[in-house]
Amino acid sequence: MHLGDTSPTPPTPSDHLHNLLRRVAQHDRRAFAQLYASTSAKLYGTVLRILRERGRADDVVQEVYVTIWQKAAQFDTGRASPIAWMAAIARHAAIDELRRQPRAPHEPEEALAHTPADAPSAREHLEHEQDAKRLHACLEALEAERRDMVRLAYLDGWSRTDLATHFEQPVNTVKTWLHRALKQLKGCLAP
Amino acid sequence: MTDHDDIDMLAAEYVLGTLDAEERAEVARRRRHDADLDARILAWEARLAPLGDEVETIAPGPDLLARIERRIDELETTSRTNSKPEDDTDDTDDTDGTAQVIALRRRLGFWRGCAGLATAAALILAVVLIAPFDDTPDAPPFVAVFQQDDQQPAFMLSVDLDSRRLNVRPVTAKPLPDRSYQLWIKADALGPKPRSVGVLNDDLSLPADALSNYDSELLKRATFGISIEPPGGSPTGQPTGSAIHGYLYPTDRDAVSQHL
Repeated sequence: MHLGDTSPTPPTPSDHLHNLLRRVAQHDRRAFAQLYASTSAKLYGTVLRILRERGRADDVVQEVYVTIWQKAAQFDTGRASPIAWMAAIARHAAIDELRRQPRAPHEPEEALAHTPADAPSAREHLEHEQDAKRLHACLEALEAERRDMVRLAYLDGWSRTDLATHFEQPVNTVKTWLHRALKQLKGCLAP
Repeated sequence: MTDHDDIDMLAAEYVLGTLDAEERAEVARRRRHDADLDARILAWEARLAPLGDEVETIAPGPDLLARIERRIDELETTSRTNSKPEDDTDDTDDTDGTAQVIALRRRLGFWRGCAGLATAAALILAVVLIAPFDDTPDAPPFVAVFQQDDQQPAFMLSVDLDSRRLNVRPVTAKPLPDRSYQLWIKADALGPKPRSVGVLNDDLSLPADALSNYDSELLKRATFGISIEPPGGSPTGQPTGSAIHGYLYPTDRDAVSQHL
């Protein structure tokens, strides 16, 4: 697992993953196994946090890697880092699965408990440190409830309805708050 | 609120994950044809991606990779007989007796990792590479490489789709005493069973017009295989030796030059 490597010397983890993805696009099975070894804990963690059940996470992560195998050639370096591209596929797959079949009622305190309140020092890759710092600074600028909403939605897969129930607000209010929070983030992050 | 705002918020909520199932499906459909929406989604993915750093990494179970690889094998095997990747209407069964259809989309590099596949005595793998032929006059023709084992190509088959002329050339394959090589074609339009293209001559060639009865669209989607048969060809009209069939699929010229 190169993602945890603290040495910034080349090749960077992103280069490593990028090379693997390029080989996977050529249907290189060995590269695929290496890509899996390098990224599966990240993707599995992402999916399991949203679905909370290993059985469902297994199924979703399986389909995620099949998608990665099939779409590796479509990966565009200019648009995202390899791990961000893969994590986005995983998140969307997990959220789609959750929307199809919602899980049991949430334990919000638990969900928030493992959401660090500020930027963790143990972030995995250094390449996007700048972006991460800016995002966390911008999140800090949000009202606390809206910040929690963004985190619960993004990391734990909560729907508008879930958020409305937990924050005891009408769904439309939640939608309005989310839009305000997102616009504020966008403005804050704008160069 | 302007339309742009609406679209941007739709993209943002799609990425955030707060849309319901129907809305998500609609956005996923729409982004394929709506470049503006797609760009906005990607911009939001980039904005929010650092949040994902907070996720605790968790190792999946030890057997998940094997499961994934089996799933990929299944998909690649069945997709070979489907006319197009997105056309799921025709689900022809591939398990016809001796002829095992293997995903030829997996190129030579992949076969090197599969020692188990090379053990059958008469096994010949066909790896089919297809290169853009119509828009560039000097591009290579459609090419199939038939591998007898994991090391060396046994035959190469090239097909000019415009004239539907073929050329089979032995690479490492040698004429076998009391045995004939036979080339087969398999395509949805031809039914579930392979059809004989012809028995190779003693010099391991075939008449160039052996495929002239097939139209080029069919050839593009067809799979090819070479089997080892009794002298004069299969007595049954079907491959009796193991034959592995390959599927023609578009690839770039880099891949052709790299692998041939």
